[in-house]
Amino acid sequence: MDALICVGGILLVFVLIIFFYLLNTARKKVAPANTLGKKDYLPIYISLADKPQSIMQGMDKLKVDVIKTEQAGDKWRWVPMIIFFVGVGLMFIDLFLMAFGYISFIFIAGGIALWIAAIVMARGLRKSDLYDFSPRYNGTKSILHTLRDDLRPNTTYLGHLDLTGALLSTKVARTSKDTQDRTTEYFRDEWLVLKAKLYDGNILRVSAIQKSKKRKSYWKRSRISGKMKSKPEKFKGTEHDLKVRIIANPEVYTITRTSPNFKQGLNIGKFTVSQLSTEGGIISFVASSPFEEVEHENILQVIQSAYSLLQRKAA
Amino acid sequence: MSRKIIPFIVAFVLVCLVMVVSGVFAFSGAVTAEKFGGSVIWSQPYSTAESMKVINLMGDEQDELFIQNTSNVTLFDGSGNTLLSQDYQYPKTTLGDVNGDNKEDIVVFYLGDLGYSVDVISDGNIKTLAQNLSIGLPARVIVLRFAAGPQIVLGDSSGGLLSLNLSGQPVWTYSVGSEEIRGMDDALIGGKMHLAVASHDGWVAVLDSEGKAVWNTNQEALRRMRAFDLNSDGNSEIITGGEYGAHFVYNAVDGSQMYTQGMGQAVSEVRVVELNGEPSSREFVVGGKDGGVWAFSFDGTTAKQMWSGSLSDKVTEISGIDIDGDGTEEAVVGDESGNVAVFTGNGTRNNLDSHSTGIMRIDVGKLNGERYVVIADGSTVDVNKINFSSIPGFQYTPLVVGVIISAVILIIAAILVSIPKKPELKVSFQDKSKESLAAERRMLKESIADVERLRKAGEVTGDAYLARLKRLRGDLADNEAAFKTAGFPIKVETIQCPNCGGTLELGMDKCEYCGQVLLS
Repeated sequence: MDALICVGGILLVFVLIIFFYLLNTARKKVAPANTLGKKDYLPIYISLADKPQSIMQGMDKLKVDVIKTEQAGDKWRWVPMIIFFVGVGLMFIDLFLMAFGYISFIFIAGGIALWIAAIVMARGLRKSDLYDFSPRYNGTKSILHTLRDDLRPNTTYLGHLDLTGALLSTKVARTSKDTQDRTTEYFRDEWLVLKAKLYDGNILRVSAIQKSKKRKSYWKRSRISGKMKSKPEKFKGTEHDLKVRIIANPEVYTITRTSPNFKQGLNIGKFTVSQLSTEGGIISFVASSPFEEVEHENILQVIQSAYSLLQRKAA
Repeated sequence: MSRKIIPFIVAFVLVCLVMVVSGVFAFSGAVTAEKFGGSVIWSQPYSTAESMKVINLMGDEQDELFIQNTSNVTLFDGSGNTLLSQDYQYPKTTLGDVNGDNKEDIVVFYLGDLGYSVDVISDGNIKTLAQNLSIGLPARVIVLRFAAGPQIVLGDSSGGLLSLNLSGQPVWTYSVGSEEIRGMDDALIGGKMHLAVASHDGWVAVLDSEGKAVWNTNQEALRRMRAFDLNSDGNSEIITGGEYGAHFVYNAVDGSQMYTQGMGQAVSEVRVVELNGEPSSREFVVGGKDGGVWAFSFDGTTAKQMWSGSLSDKVTEISGIDIDGDGTEEAVVGDESGNVAVFTGNGTRNNLDSHSTGIMRIDVGKLNGERYVVIADGSTVDVNKINFSSIPGFQYTPLVVGVIISAVILIIAAILVSIPKKPELKVSFQDKSKESLAAERRMLKESIADVERLRKAGEVTGDAYLARLKRLRGDLADNEAAFKTAGFPIKVETIQCPNCGGTLELGMDKCEYCGQVLLS
């Protein structure tokens, strides 16, 4: 009897796991945050080497394609659950027969086969699931849209938009170890690189870099119990650097050394100008932000403020 | 194209597999919905039956129920009325035609007032055949129709055998080991009757009509011995089961071992059951002390296990009964806890109503013209009407289930095909004009220079540097390819590593990503 209860309990757990897996597939439950508590976004990498209109149209098309794929899958999300219940119905035929004293397992076997089919279908549908677009995707599009009329005719934007993730192993810039032999990884994610020749002859280069720090998981012996315990990895913080270089067209502009609207230490939106150089006809500065996320308005605001260092020559 | 076709090909293969499996199950008859049930017609108190048989012993047209325990011999008529009840001390019985009237008589070997005696009960009349016999405590008795004439062979609890003629005169004596005789059966050699006998201390012998051993052998301590001509060739096979699980099949002709297997538990019962309905060979079922049940077939040279099953306690009785009237027998098995189960030809177990005490004997026969199964447990003897019912056409349900599964598989394939391919998440928006491509090329070179500068400054090290560099060089290679595609002249500055496929700058001697030496 105990063995029967034990086996029954294990089977019930399996059935519940399958049920909730299929239910979550049907309800399209939002993917949980990753181990570091960050929401995962769609990992996109876009090379930019085209005219503003083409890029923006391409970005819109990509978004439409993603939504179309998702919606095509969404239409059928309840089907695995229905197949699951058809399987349950088949199994009940055998239970019904057993209640009348007939021993039969053929419908139970058929039900299990349908459950397997439902799981396979649910997996197929989940494969069509895509994460949400990062806010940076729309933000970058807005930057490109804002700057589109400032671009020199017949020139293109150059650069890339890398939204594959800030904490990838390929983005570890360096590592360090503390006195307790714990490893901390420093990530450098240059997620936006943009170069544009502007209408006024200037060349604008913008790099948005997210710098993150993460302590890797490690084993530690408990002082009380003496057992070895695994400590999870820990996100230690992030910040943003916005590196901008404006090569001024000497025929049109002169660069002033100072401006009340743009100087070192000045706060502009979420950014603070941390380095500034106006040597050699090039405005080069780094604006830093302690925030994890910076909006496109902040980036545009910094670039606009930097333009206050340029003074148009008299005609 | 393949995205649309491959799921359907996979689905088609799966559907074929499902339908083949369904067809195998459907047409092999492996899937059935059958149930066995029973109702008690009459019941009489009778404790610990040792021997029981439905047989005509009164000389009328009807069969009676003969039953014997450790102190009594009783005959019930078809309705459960007692026709005869005679008490004995230590009786052992057998059935056989002693007086030559072509009807079975009851032969009782017992301890009487004048020592060990033999009674013959014929048509309800008791007649003492022999008294004061020089033999020990009764263990077994058998009536054998040798070619030279019938004999009654008595076996005692110390391995002694005494043969009597039908007048009750001793013919010969023999000794098989020194412990209780645990089996006496008639064995054929070349179609001639012989006596197979076995004692608890493991001695097995085949004797002729003069009490001379044709052969004998010794094995582990023995619980059961039966002799059957399993393949109807005129030579019997002798099946033994040991105290420690040794299971042998001997050739009655010379005692050679035809089959042996360790059962893992003491063998408590062996019976012949016609399980497969093929009359030229018979199957036998072995029961174990821990509830194991094994069915064997015999092909004339060796035995082969057909299936195995189990009960929850020591198997005390096995009986072959054709319950469903299909020409093959089912093995009705009882255990010491009172459970009775019907094992069909393929080993499927169906439980009958259990008894409150251990099952002692099971037999089948016609009483009052009706076919009944008689079950004797520790305290009563029950005459049961066993019924069998099955759902007609159920064997084809695997095909129905197969069709349902196949339909679901095809629906799933159609749905998965209807979902468009996931869009590529690494995209490139590239203007194909020469100026644009050249600008992009410049930008990429600037970016590579930036990465190099960062590495020199120590801001980026290791994998991150290589990963970034690999991506930029890849983009540079794409740019060169775009130049070529557009027909613009370009000086190629990248090569691909033949080992890892990574893009490298022309002139490099070693791949930075995988370490491959380059000969270019």
